[in-house]
Amino acid sequence: MDPTEVEFLAEKEIVKIIPNFSLDKIYLIGGDLGPFNPGLPVQVPVWLALNLKQRQKCRILPPQWMDVDKLEEVREMERKEDSFTPPPSPYYMELTKLLLNHASDNIPKADEIRTLVKDIWDTRIAKLRLSADSFISQQEAHAKLDNLTLMEINTTRSFLLGSLNCMFKLRSNMQPGTSTGKGPDY
Amino acid sequence: MPCERKPMRYGHSEGHTDVTFDDAGKFIVTCGSDGDVRIWESLDDDDPRSINVGEKAYSLALKKRKLVTAGSNNTVQIHTFPEGDPDGILTRFTTHATHVAFNHSGSRVAAGSSDFMVKVVEVADSSQQKTLRGHDAPVLSVTFDPKDEFLASASCDGSVVIWKIDEQTKVTSWPVLQKSNDVSTAKSLCRLGWQPKTAKLLAVPVGLKVHLYERDSWEHVSTLSDDMMTQPINVVAWSPCGQLLAAGSVGGFLTVWNAESKLCVERQKHEKGYTVCGLAWHPSGRQLAYTDTQGSLGLLDDLPTASSATKTPKAPAVKAANDYDDLFDEDDDRAMDEGLSDTHSPAKRPVAGGDDDDDDDLMPATGRVKNRSSFLDDENSLDTVSLALGQGKYGDDDDAGSTVAPPTGPSLPLRPAYEGPLPTLPQKPFQPGSTPAHLTHRFMTWNSVGVVRGYNDDQDNAVDVEFHDTAVHHAMHLTNALGHTLADLSQEAVLLACPATDELASKLQCLHFSSWDANKEWIVDLPAGEDVRALVLGQGWAAAATSARTLRLFTVGGVQKEIFSLPGHVVSMAAHGEQLLVVYHRGTGFDGDQALGVQLLQLGRRKRQVIHGEPLPLSCKAHLAWLGFTAEGTPCYVDSEGVVRMLNRSLGNTWTPVCNTRETCKGKSDHFWVVAVHENPQQLRCIPCKGSRYPPTLPRPAVAILPFKLPLCQTTTEKGQMEEQYWRSTLLQNHYSFLSSSGYEIDDEGQNQNQKEQQELLMKMFALSCKLEREFRCMELAELMTQSVVTLAVRYASRSRRMNLAQRLNELAMEKANQLQEEQEQEEEEVQEEEHHTPRSRYGQRESAGGHSSSRSHQAREEEPREEEEDESQETETLEADGESRKRLNPFARGAAASPEKPSPKPMSKEGRVNPFKVQGSGKSPSQSRVSNVLDSMTSVRRPAPLGGPSGKQSKGPVLKPLAPKPKTKMQSTLLQMATSKAANKKAQVNPEPAADRLKQPEVPPPDLPVEDSENQKPRTGFQLWLEENRKSILADSPDLQETDVIKAAMGSFRSLSAEDRLSWTERAKGQSGEAADLKKRKRVEEAGEGDESRVKADENIAKKKKSLDTTAKLSAFAFNKN
Repeated sequence: MDPTEVEFLAEKEIVKIIPNFSLDKIYLIGGDLGPFNPGLPVQVPVWLALNLKQRQKCRILPPQWMDVDKLEEVREMERKEDSFTPPPSPYYMELTKLLLNHASDNIPKADEIRTLVKDIWDTRIAKLRLSADSFISQQEAHAKLDNLTLMEINTTRSFLLGSLNCMFKLRSNMQPGTSTGKGPDY
Repeated sequence: MPCERKPMRYGHSEGHTDVTFDDAGKFIVTCGSDGDVRIWESLDDDDPRSINVGEKAYSLALKKRKLVTAGSNNTVQIHTFPEGDPDGILTRFTTHATHVAFNHSGSRVAAGSSDFMVKVVEVADSSQQKTLRGHDAPVLSVTFDPKDEFLASASCDGSVVIWKIDEQTKVTSWPVLQKSNDVSTAKSLCRLGWQPKTAKLLAVPVGLKVHLYERDSWEHVSTLSDDMMTQPINVVAWSPCGQLLAAGSVGGFLTVWNAESKLCVERQKHEKGYTVCGLAWHPSGRQLAYTDTQGSLGLLDDLPTASSATKTPKAPAVKAANDYDDLFDEDDDRAMDEGLSDTHSPAKRPVAGGDDDDDDDLMPATGRVKNRSSFLDDENSLDTVSLALGQGKYGDDDDAGSTVAPPTGPSLPLRPAYEGPLPTLPQKPFQPGSTPAHLTHRFMTWNSVGVVRGYNDDQDNAVDVEFHDTAVHHAMHLTNALGHTLADLSQEAVLLACPATDELASKLQCLHFSSWDANKEWIVDLPAGEDVRALVLGQGWAAAATSARTLRLFTVGGVQKEIFSLPGHVVSMAAHGEQLLVVYHRGTGFDGDQALGVQLLQLGRRKRQVIHGEPLPLSCKAHLAWLGFTAEGTPCYVDSEGVVRMLNRSLGNTWTPVCNTRETCKGKSDHFWVVAVHENPQQLRCIPCKGSRYPPTLPRPAVAILPFKLPLCQTTTEKGQMEEQYWRSTLLQNHYSFLSSSGYEIDDEGQNQNQKEQQELLMKMFALSCKLEREFRCMELAELMTQSVVTLAVRYASRSRRMNLAQRLNELAMEKANQLQEEQEQEEEEVQEEEHHTPRSRYGQRESAGGHSSSRSHQAREEEPREEEEDESQETETLEADGESRKRLNPFARGAAASPEKPSPKPMSKEGRVNPFKVQGSGKSPSQSRVSNVLDSMTSVRRPAPLGGPSGKQSKGPVLKPLAPKPKTKMQSTLLQMATSKAANKKAQVNPEPAADRLKQPEVPPPDLPVEDSENQKPRTGFQLWLEENRKSILADSPDLQETDVIKAAMGSFRSLSAEDRLSWTERAKGQSGEAADLKKRKRVEEAGEGDESRVKADENIAKKKKSLDTTAKLSAFAFNKN
């Protein structure tokens, strides 16, 4: 799974937009959308919101959590706690990136939000690295981490699995090596 | 408690004077510009003793038998008292002293001089002087702190300074006074007063008010004022008890306040209106001596003492204060502050309201405007202010009366004593959906079309127009050179107006962007002296209400049209299509209420007035906050209490409250700012404003949607809920009949949906009442039902073994059926007559000729292969044929094709659009799944054929046919149905509201599905069964058909049956239940769509035919003939 796929999944999230056109309900496989009334907020998936935004057919209303005060609170919480705190949204990173890249004019204090989300992301990734480190150094067989988002898991998965595999190989070869003395082959 | 005002008497020659009492109160001592000090034993003393102290005496002070005077010879002298012997010179200045004062103990004298200095001198030893330097202009007055610690002085430089005497330093300084360059040119003498005994408060006359400053904190704690004070206050003096404060003004007003309650306890006017320049209390506190600039001496006797003064006026004041306190919001700091400091003085509140503005103009109107427009203002404070202003206004009247006829002693009323209703200040005109004009960034209007914003700051004076739907027009940015303050926006134009200025007349500017010529703008100047107060844009016209109480109509292109007078000043206007709604002041409201009147005019071809200036109901003490129409064209408005009311056209144009936005608010000071109301779907579109009444322009507020809720009783119970839903649905359905009566096409599907919902609710309520054994209530509910639902109710009742109820219901059903039949017969007669004159009679006649005429079947067969074409030509024909009553497209219908810019939507293509993803039956409300099977069947019955309702869509004929006919257009292609329901068909043709696009929907032939040949092969399919029964009629219709053609035709007809119909056939095919129904009955079934349902009806029909049968027999039919 690569980040684009995660982003694709994030595009299913619902945001509110204010359309500037009028359209009846549209019926899609994923569910019915609309009706679109000019000036009236309506909930649509992110992919549609971005599409409409790019065509200048709507204004995007930022999700509730995308607010400087709330994010500051989350950041402080994240820094204070040792474990992972619940993220503001399961797709917070992806949504921030998508919305701020395409609709920064509709989001008040976009720059501050970008910084805050980056801060939160960095804090969480640092925690993740730390726990991966202790996981490996203590040679645990399993560990449980709560409140991780898909994107976070995804960033660390390939590396962690790869290195664990590698270490497993090394160790499994070490063992016979110590018993049979063939270790130095590797 | 009025005091006695003694007549004035001559004291000194013309000029400045001063007055004081001696310590014992035995003598009145005055000085004047003749340089004499006179010692009066009483006011009646005809031979006062005179002591000459110099050329002029400016001020005097008396304590412990020592008389200190400030004279024109630049000295402060001491004389013994009462002997009047010179006792030396206390101090000298470089110019004359202006004011002298003793301290409490009499040990020191302070003197202020025109040489900017203040000196404090020990009386016993004049060499011990302290000089206080710091004023930049002549000193007006000085006063000692009774505790001898501080000294206060006022100066022409505009400041009042507190000095620490011992350190000779400034403690604090307030630049509150008006600056002047000399004592003689100063507006006010500004004699300060320090509260004796407690020494807590320092009274400073500032303009028309007296500011009270608190000792030590030196904060301005409160303000005393009186509406009757029209000119600056010259002197203040504390009563010896320290509770009352007297003030004398330039205009000759004398006012006594109670400093604690801040109530004015006494009010007198100088008999000639001369300026009061000296004021002194008798040590007993019962008398007040005063002198004027003409040298006269006066006395007020029998003044209320502090204790009595607090008692009498307190009762009403406390009561009022409580009232106001209740009104104030806890979280509104400003209101709270005002409440604390001012609530005890209703008479002076308007002044307090004006405090913030630093505005001496105390016209009630200005105060009101300021308060009304303050951005974070709370409505409650607004109300109290308006109330208080009303009181103020009353006071002014009172004042006017007293100046005309000099008051005679006790007859002068004390203002706080007035307890009657007080007039409310009329509310200012406003544009619906606008924020106050004083804001630099404001919404000039926000409506369903778009937003007009006004910017008026340093860089920019501009108007931004933005459309919700960019398809209407692109956004516009206009420079606001004319200073427009009013705006309205429609699909066609932007209308702006500015008030008149000194040079320029009030202008009306219209940007007619939908115009097809090159000139998209016009401006109209109003006649001089006339200001635009409110304006509105309708469809193709504009209206402006002016300050001359006229209403001017224009076309949107700028042609002047009708002009008429309004009965009062306009408050607001709204328009929708051809309707114009005007709200104006009907009169003066009392006790915070507004007296508004409303007019509703129809400005179409048939101009008429629908509502003739009836009073507009508002909540208690509320004013109008929003006025408009629903998207469907029903007038509605919102008052400041957040109650939304809507016109109920079916109840004699009454106003029904449909929603209270304040109930949905989280906080007390939160409001909803309504921008639009929709009836279908039921939406109240508004902007939530946290902690304010109006939304800010940035960040752009988002619209929220509130539901309607009628304030019926017990809406928590199931019964109440259903009642509320029923009546809400009924109320919000009124617009259908209005729209159709005014010639617009209506959304039939929506209407049917509504009616269905209502009938369902009735049925549910019926079932509920049945369960509760309330049979009488059941009957009442049944009265509201349509005939077909009553038959269901009969079934329900008979099933639940309520024979009595069933019998009564049955009678009711018969009655309704008869009624219906009569109506329809009448209609039909009319219709038949009409038909001969309309081009459409081609069909009508042919069909009324009845039978299966070969000509018709021939034509029908011809048409068959080109069904689609026929449909279309039918469509066009319908449009053309409608001749006299051509349907106008409803420009307010929602949806993609709703824009009036291009009013040619293709209903066919829109409705007929095949949606492969559309969930079947999505139109059904989820609640249906929960209702009993009786209701289920009702739903399915009504789906193919919506209930007729009052519009008389029921099919005619002697039999009970609760089902509406299929629309004619379809009949043409479905031969069979044509044959079976000719009468119905004809009815549909002449139906005044074809609106075929909606009704047609369920019947549009399924898109080119491959013919299921397998169906023919199977031994028993629903189709075969159906064909068997209908072959005869098909053949009868077209006898010369080949067998294959017959099948084809039949197939077409069968397919055009609704899904339910087909299903029932299929089911029957499976079950092969021995239906012994005859063909005629079967046809009815076909329409009814469900076997058992129609059987009940058939039974009923039979029962009806055999009227000789007794009721028990009929009932038994109900009870035991069920499936």
